[in-house]
Amino acid sequence: MELLNLYQNNYLIVFAFLCLGILLPVVALFAAKLLRPKYKDIASKYTTYESGIEPFHDARVQFNVRYYVFALMFVIFDVETVFLYPWAIAYEKLGIFALIEMLIFVVMLLIGLIYAWKKKVLKWI
Amino acid sequence: MTVSGEFIAFLALALVAIIGGVLLLNLKKVVHMVVALVFTFLSIAGIYVLLSAEFLAVVQILVYSGAISIIMLFGIMLTKHNDEDEGDSKGGGWRKAFLFLGVLAFGAVFYIGIYNLDFGSAPAALHENNPEQIGIELYSKYVIPFELMSVLLLVAFVGAIVLSRNDEKEEADKE
Repeated sequence: MELLNLYQNNYLIVFAFLCLGILLPVVALFAAKLLRPKYKDIASKYTTYESGIEPFHDARVQFNVRYYVFALMFVIFDVETVFLYPWAIAYEKLGIFALIEMLIFVVMLLIGLIYAWKKKVLKWI
Repeated sequence: MTVSGEFIAFLALALVAIIGGVLLLNLKKVVHMVVALVFTFLSIAGIYVLLSAEFLAVVQILVYSGAISIIMLFGIMLTKHNDEDEGDSKGGGWRKAFLFLGVLAFGAVFYIGIYNLDFGSAPAALHENNPEQIGIELYSKYVIPFELMSVLLLVAFVGAIVLSRNDEKEEADKE
């Protein structure tokens, strides 16, 4: 079981990077808060653009549903890639049957892509 | 119960996952909720790493905290945000009591269900060449579920297209 311990200890480096990633913005913002001069009583400092046009509308607008379909297509082909990866690694031990399986899988998703193409979802406006 | 590094890591990850879930329910702004959910997903990936399921952990980060949370943000951008804050409706004392009972019952059922659960002995060397082991298992033993997965993905894909194109049908007919 030495190898399992080795595997787990390797993730300590990942953990260190994770801590670094969380601490970096926190420390940077906190240090900036300590260093910057205080200007709490000037109202114009709190506007969005200090020397620009006053913002007049809500920044959030309703997006077109088209974006959502593209995001969903991304997720679906992302999942396809996830399935392709262990297949590609284990390919030499699996043989021709696995190739046929994977072809069926890819063709299934290709049908979806062709359907989307025919429905003109892929066309941008 | 011995306190090992693995145990501490599990406790920390489980705590982050639960806090993320609670924040998801309690935060007021939807984008903050998604961020809380991302923390839950990430800590679940950490738990997968502890269980020697390295590939699954990477997939969890890639698909869930990457793609699924982005799709949730897209879903938020699709909706309107004109609604005012409703004051949170405080239920009566009875409602809280029943809620507490429900939570207790849920906890008890899961405790009984999980405490002595035995999945059989897992193979010891899961951490060696994890994706290759998954590939061999998936494409030799579990072929039918895998192919059903592709059908499920196809159905989700076509369903999303049908739902999203429905309102633009008239425009398409004009062209």
